[in-house]
Amino acid sequence: MSASETPESQPQQEQTTHFGFKQVDKNQKVNMVKDVFQSVAAKYDIMNDLMSLGIHRLWKRYTIDCSGVRAGHKVLDLAGGTGDLTAKFSRIVGESGQVILADINDAMLKVGRDKLRDKGIVGNVEYVQANAEELPFPDNTFDIITIAFGLRNVTDKDKALASMYRVLKPGGRLLVLEFSKPSNEILNKVYDTYSFHLLPKIGQLVANDADSYQYLAESIRMHPEQEVLKGMMENVGFEQTTYHNLTGGIVALHRGFKF
Amino acid sequence: MPLPQLVTSGIELALNKVLLLDPDSQGRLRKLSGRSLQVKVNELPWPLMFSFSSQIDVRIASQDPQDTIADCLIELNLETLPKLKDSSQLTQLIQQKKLNLIGDIYVAQTFSSLMKDLDIDWEEQLAKYTGDVVAHQTFSSTKTLFKKAKFNLEQTAEKLAENLRQPNSVSITQNEMILFSEDVNDLRSHTERLAARIARLEQTAQIKAEQNQTKGSAK
Ligand SMILES: C[S@@+](CC[C@H](N)C(=O)[O-])C[C@H]1O[C@@H](n2cnc3c(N)ncnc32)[C@H](O)[C@@H]1O
Repeated sequence: MSASETPESQPQQEQTTHFGFKQVDKNQKVNMVKDVFQSVAAKYDIMNDLMSLGIHRLWKRYTIDCSGVRAGHKVLDLAGGTGDLTAKFSRIVGESGQVILADINDAMLKVGRDKLRDKGIVGNVEYVQANAEELPFPDNTFDIITIAFGLRNVTDKDKALASMYRVLKPGGRLLVLEFSKPSNEILNKVYDTYSFHLLPKIGQLVANDADSYQYLAESIRMHPEQEVLKGMMENVGFEQTTYHNLTGGIVALHRGFKF
Repeated sequence: MPLPQLVTSGIELALNKVLLLDPDSQGRLRKLSGRSLQVKVNELPWPLMFSFSSQIDVRIASQDPQDTIADCLIELNLETLPKLKDSSQLTQLIQQKKLNLIGDIYVAQTFSSLMKDLDIDWEEQLAKYTGDVVAHQTFSSTKTLFKKAKFNLEQTAEKLAENLRQPNSVSITQNEMILFSEDVNDLRSHTERLAARIARLEQTAQIKAEQNQTKGSAK
């Protein structure tokens, strides 16, 4: 489905949500997001490197550095996609720990599973197809939850954050790595030009899929900015919630604890 | 750009590359599997955490006291760092108060013998790049190199952007795209290599400075 297909019957205002800049039926967004990642899965890693000039690897490293992960921990890499964070977590938590790579999209999970197997990462990693809004895990399960570049794709973010809070152990922490709002106006403009003009075209050339990357750019703009997301985390119960801007606020890492 | 993470990624890359070159290292690494070592070099702004598995993962150790649960924690000055290569010296260094160690000394000893067996001669590594030039000069040339790589990349990106702005542009060929992504890859590995090099340079510069100092004071 392309992003331009909107539902025929006009939905009630409260039942709609944004898909990029478009208003769509809430029930449809899940499927539309699914289609986006279904179509980018195979080229996802190379596109990531290209679009961020490789810097996404450093943002992810920073996330791991702030996670406090150690041997024996149980980690949920939510919306984990092709498993960059999972790979590192898996080596650090070791045999006594466990990492669950969860994603709503089976195509992304499959690319992730194949990649990690090739890297020799087996044993302590489990793959689960799940929606962040309704996590299929018991209460108080995880020491750490990460969601990297995933939250902005989720339809009901409050519901998803509450679900993460529920499955986190007391003392555990959530790390949300996500595109955010650059703190500097000039950077903001340059970045806008980059994401709305260059990005969809790179997407067209490399992945033959301009629509998906247009969606990516739009979804970044629609994502709640730093302070708003912090408030949303606090609303569902997270404490000691803080955020740290990376690369001038193009990306921010939010961290919150459950006590 | 998150600089500390650039440095750890450089160190990690360098360490694991050497490990790959040594066929016996996997066996030795296995002894440490699942363990972790935190190293605080007093001259560096952040403590480093080494986690061992089939490879070595290097990250910035959290400064939060509730997080710092490594199996072994060592604290030392840069000048002591090269002496770690000799694991038999560890206890002596502790007695001389040159090394602070908390936790399982076995981890530090095994790591130290692993490093010795790998025989990374940091001085020699450095000389490869610098000859006998003072570290300071090398620092600036490294920076120029980095700037140049970045400039090249920016130019390519600019050209690409320019082309894309043309209406009816069919001007970007698959080839140009491939070149661009190769540039990106080059820049990335460049940055990683540079980070490793800078880490090494800092280390040697410090050691040299210390040596000069002790020489000076011995006179
Ligand atoms: C941009 S990718 C990020 C992948 C990976 N975390 C990374 O940083 O490279 C976003 C991922 O979120 C997943 N996703 C989107 N909506 C989701 C939902 N409601 N629940 C779980 N995963 C979701 C997508 O399938 C996709 O794999």
